[in-house]
Amino acid sequence: MVLVLSVRDYINRMLQDISGMKVLILDSQTVSAVSVVYSQSELLQKEVFLVELVDSISMSKESMSHLKAVYFLRPTSENIQHLKRQLAKPRFGEYNLFFSNMLNTTQLHILADSDEHEVVQQVQEFFADFVAIDPYHFTLNTPSNHMYMLPAVIDPPNLQNYCDRIVDGLAAIFLAFKRRPVIRYSRTSDIAKRIAHEASKLMYQQESGLFDFRRTEISPLLLIIDRRDDPVTPLLNQWTYQAMVHELIGIKDNKVDLGNVGKFSKDQQEVVLSSEQDAFFKANMYENFGDIGMNIKRMVDDFQQVAKSNQNIQTIEDMAKFVDNYPEYRKMQGNVSKHVTLVTEMSKIVEERKLMLVSQTEQELACNGGQGAAFEAVTNLLNNESVSDIDRLRLVMLYALRYEKESPVQLMQLFNKLASRSPKYKPGLVQFLLKQAGVDRRTGDLYGNRDILNIARNMARGLKGVENVYTQHQPLLFQTMESITKGRLRDVDYPFVGNHFQQGRPQEVVIFIVGGTTYEESRSVALQNSLNSGIRFILGGSSLLNSKRFLKDLEEAQRIARSSTGVV
Amino acid sequence: MATRNRTFLFRRYRDALKGVRVPPGRSNAVPSSSGGGPVIEMSNTTSTPLRKPHRSYAPLSTEDPATSTVGTPTVGLPPAWVDVSEELAANIQQARSKMAELAKAHAKALMPSFGDGKEDQHRIEALTFEVTDLLKKTEKRLRKLSAAGGPFEDSTIRKNVQRSLASDLQNLSMELRRKQSNYLKRIKKQKEGSDGVDLEMNLDGKPSVREDDDGFDGMSFNNHQMAKLKKSEALTVEREKEIQQVAESVNELAQIMKDLSVLVIDQGTIIDRIDYNIQNVAVTVDKGLQQLQKAERNQKQGGMVTCASVLVIMCFVMLVLLILKEILF
Repeated sequence: MVLVLSVRDYINRMLQDISGMKVLILDSQTVSAVSVVYSQSELLQKEVFLVELVDSISMSKESMSHLKAVYFLRPTSENIQHLKRQLAKPRFGEYNLFFSNMLNTTQLHILADSDEHEVVQQVQEFFADFVAIDPYHFTLNTPSNHMYMLPAVIDPPNLQNYCDRIVDGLAAIFLAFKRRPVIRYSRTSDIAKRIAHEASKLMYQQESGLFDFRRTEISPLLLIIDRRDDPVTPLLNQWTYQAMVHELIGIKDNKVDLGNVGKFSKDQQEVVLSSEQDAFFKANMYENFGDIGMNIKRMVDDFQQVAKSNQNIQTIEDMAKFVDNYPEYRKMQGNVSKHVTLVTEMSKIVEERKLMLVSQTEQELACNGGQGAAFEAVTNLLNNESVSDIDRLRLVMLYALRYEKESPVQLMQLFNKLASRSPKYKPGLVQFLLKQAGVDRRTGDLYGNRDILNIARNMARGLKGVENVYTQHQPLLFQTMESITKGRLRDVDYPFVGNHFQQGRPQEVVIFIVGGTTYEESRSVALQNSLNSGIRFILGGSSLLNSKRFLKDLEEAQRIARSSTGVV
Repeated sequence: MATRNRTFLFRRYRDALKGVRVPPGRSNAVPSSSGGGPVIEMSNTTSTPLRKPHRSYAPLSTEDPATSTVGTPTVGLPPAWVDVSEELAANIQQARSKMAELAKAHAKALMPSFGDGKEDQHRIEALTFEVTDLLKKTEKRLRKLSAAGGPFEDSTIRKNVQRSLASDLQNLSMELRRKQSNYLKRIKKQKEGSDGVDLEMNLDGKPSVREDDDGFDGMSFNNHQMAKLKKSEALTVEREKEIQQVAESVNELAQIMKDLSVLVIDQGTIIDRIDYNIQNVAVTVDKGLQQLQKAERNQKQGGMVTCASVLVIMCFVMLVLLILKEILF
């Protein structure tokens, strides 16, 4: 049950039975789901010669009856409306409708009603309603991702939409795997609880027929947790390749937009970073920055050798060899320049923002005790001119999360300093974070200081020393996975929904983080899976966070919360 | 990989609603038959109004709404390039089958045989020439596929068809090249091998040695040996020619490859991303619209301004004339 493969299978099955020239019509969500797993040239092989968005295809009126339309859409009411309009005036030879999730009867009625010309050949549900960015990591790209921080009373309709989208995505995941899971959630989070209950209702009551698969001996586990259980991970600077690119430049659906980083030639402005298509990236996505530098150097050397042998073509044999290797050569050339560009840009940023210095303190704050030293280090960095505003804010946040209860006076000092140093800082943001994700609100032992066992373990690690100061932080998810592997996840903290309990150790676990995942966590899951412990973990989230994104969500939520309390 | 097929339910709803909706007589519409045969015929006979095929049918649909609503989805005229692309696909198919034949011929030619293998050689030459020629021709026509302009979506489709055919073609020529170079290598090996055999025959082949011993006073090659030498010389020349020919076609193929590589999408690059392509289309559409609006504005403005200025100038001229008239007369 690898995510990428199952989505690819769905698309293959969609396209293979329809012969002739096709046009594929997607919506803004399915286009991401399809793009990350399928390439344009593969579509061409399947005779799909035009790909369009459902809202833009309605603009032109020209008849193209030599094409067969394949729609792949989410069953939203806007999409149904678009379809209704397009079916009323059919432009294509035939219409094949695929939906990425469950259609309700009303929607089906509307479609049947609008199909006056009887052009619709088939209506199917193919459950590829998630964006499979890596084999074990998916995201839902949920719009307005800040909703999870708001209490339910503020904006009920939008919150309902948000929950619905997540429940749909989770349902699709398990339908794609043909499994019905038992569901657990983190106790302190209202939204996780709500999603867990709604998902359970859908899977065990409303659509129980659809989810009634052949019983496997042990059902898989769906664990729904809240981003606020671990607010530290999205605030840290990252030093492994994939995570670092996302943190410093930004990855969207496995694409990196270099447009706002610097000036590049047209084909380098946007590059693809996919572990499925790029062997070098696959081998190095979890390596740390130093090692990547070495590996890239090796790759460049290899490439130079190939390039040299291609330069002196003298005999026909040389020529023949060149032609043989030409496509390979071109591919390699593109790849080399892509990675070199990325790493150069990142090291520029690291230099500019003094990230080595900042990150060291961040890691200290996240992993080790020592309040006095930490306070001093943070104050020093706040005074440092070359540290950027966002890094200052993050440092104070990390400090506040760590030493929330211990010395309010020093915390206040830091707040004041931050306010005077960074003019763009919105006052109260750190306090809002504490209110959202403070120690009283969190499930799980984020800093490993709540029970004696964890404290002892931390001390042992401190004595052993760490390999790399910049990558010593382990996300809370790592501990959670460990507890699941050992069967020690506490029922009090992570209760089951309904009366469906786990019998024995699950073999497949889907962990969904409401509020978004980070690439650091994705790395953690990939490493855990490579250990072959007998449990396969899959990570999913409502969006993909880096610190910028997380802070933006936080600001947005603060703004809405404030304005609504003003009204009330 | 669960799926759920809702077609049945959909059809039931649709049929139920059809009864309500009237008018009858629509039920004879068979939407699935998008009619391949007549459509192609039409496009051959009427080649001029092909750019906007729907134009020619527009009057029809206004004439009789009852039949035309049924007609629009079924009657459709694919643009002329569809024929071209089909022809190209057929060419590629043909080339592929020829390649299979060629592979067989190669294998046969390389087998040790008692005849001189001239027929095989000729066959290989002819086949290689045919395939290369076919590829060249297809490549040339392929370039024309996207040449003519047309509506925006149509040109996108055409470009994509071109790309897909180009990558087919590229694969095919790669395969051909690989086969040829294999063949070349093995011929060379055989040549070397046969030279070696000849040498051995001369040195320690018993009959020749004995002959040499017998006629030691002669010191010259006897007739038998001369004939053998000539024969092997002829053989060498023949092989030389073959190699030359194959090398030539390799060159040609290399050229085709280079030309095609412009058209083919590099896998794993941003151009190969589906969303990037959609985005690009949207951006170009937007840009086109903007430019159109700008042009419209310019045109309007330009027209107005010139008109006004001409009028003003005329006014002045008239005024001067009027004044002159008043003063002079």
